[in-house]
Amino acid sequence: MIERNKKYLQIAFNRSLNEVATMVGLLPLSDRIIIEAGYPLIKTYGVDVINSIRGFWRQKFFGPEDSKSGMKNFKLEMLGLAEFRDLLLKKDSFKKIFQEKKIEDKTVAINLYIVADLKCMDRAFTEVEAAKNAGASAATCLGLAPVETIDAFIKKCEEIKIDSFLDMLNVEYPFEVLSKLKSLPKIVMLHRGVDEGEGNREKEVPYHQIERIKGTYDDILIAIAGGETAREAITGGFNDADIVIVWKLFNENPGKIAELTEEFLEKTK
Amino acid sequence: MIIKRNRKYLQIALNSTLNEAIEIVRKLPFSERILIEVGTPLIKIYGKRAISEIRVITPSYIVADTKCADLALRDVKMVAEAGAQAATCLGVAPVETIDVFIKECKKAGIDSMVDMMNVDQPINILRELKNSPDVVIIHRGVDETEFSKDKQIPFYQINEIKNNFDTLLSVAGGDKIEEVQRSMFNGADIVVVWKDFYQSTDETKDLAKEFLKEIR
Repeated sequence: MIERNKKYLQIAFNRSLNEVATMVGLLPLSDRIIIEAGYPLIKTYGVDVINSIRGFWRQKFFGPEDSKSGMKNFKLEMLGLAEFRDLLLKKDSFKKIFQEKKIEDKTVAINLYIVADLKCMDRAFTEVEAAKNAGASAATCLGLAPVETIDAFIKKCEEIKIDSFLDMLNVEYPFEVLSKLKSLPKIVMLHRGVDEGEGNREKEVPYHQIERIKGTYDDILIAIAGGETAREAITGGFNDADIVIVWKLFNENPGKIAELTEEFLEKTK
Repeated sequence: MIIKRNRKYLQIALNSTLNEAIEIVRKLPFSERILIEVGTPLIKIYGKRAISEIRVITPSYIVADTKCADLALRDVKMVAEAGAQAATCLGVAPVETIDVFIKECKKAGIDSMVDMMNVDQPINILRELKNSPDVVIIHRGVDETEFSKDKQIPFYQINEIKNNFDTLLSVAGGDKIEEVQRSMFNGADIVVVWKDFYQSTDETKDLAKEFLKEIR
């Protein structure tokens, strides 16, 4: 789960499943990476795309032969970190990665954290349940949704133990929304929409909101989205955001994904 | 615009499983006045195949309830390719998104529907747009209805919008026959129902006929 005082990079995948598979394959094995199953990806393939992404990540450890050996159904959650590491070291393919990258076991993300970008607007119970069943670690709800929906969304997320992200896309006063809720979301996403960014260059990523929200609500973590350049991504990280969400930069430079991720992780340590 | 003016439509929203949806669609009487809605949960759970699998079993007009909030171009393309005749965009979405959505729907040859769920004054949103959508939906959400029993559908907005904008009006969120009658009385062009069509039963066909009778 997400830890405080750590900086995370959330990479939103919006393109085809093939490209997602390739890009996941190139990512470093850091526990500071969050994968977002983007809103267009979910609408195109359905929530089960989350299971597929998890599968791509596991292939990084076990290789593609898993299905034959039955490892696919292996319950990683049931293993302690040390046991898991021993298990991995038995495999030559992983041993090599382990040595080359000098990975310390505590930084290896065994279970990838995946956010289902549902942008829930209604029927929160049904949507949250569907995301959880597909293996999501978290789901998103729109701050623009009726307050009844947001309340139901947060409640259901707490009940079935996944993290609740409240996406403040197009919300002028996030405070107003938060003050109406029965309980708070775990993460607030500050957002400039893609269409907004393209149609109206003057709309800024709302960095100034980060401090205000964190100053008022101790428990809320902040994710900042909508930045399109490396500079914006890093700025988000330095502006006290806990999670920086990027998509364009990565989706447009699939070949450079490992390099860009490592640069981010290095600079926001 | 594919949908015809001066006609009244019943929109049946499918929100359970894809199998259930297919079974319901097979039972519906064929009428040009019935629109089939592939509900948001179906699209999010099954992806675009929810639309294409229903497309192959019915010649009816299909509304894909994508509830677009961003990346409008992607949504419209996906929906049109899957075979739907209309897509939905949220009225609370950034105005840039709604504008792109309406423009892309026109380009793709499908109808644009803007869903005013949780919008206090739909007129204010419509004033900001470059073009009016083909259909505006006045909507009380399922969670709103469930958890705030006294929330009313603002029927008065139907005429307010129709008098000021060149658009058709759809009402969603009232499933009782009385609410359907009220929508019609207030000038709605489309009435959306879902509760009675959540599961396929022996009465599915008759229920559809009964609703259709009220919608004239």
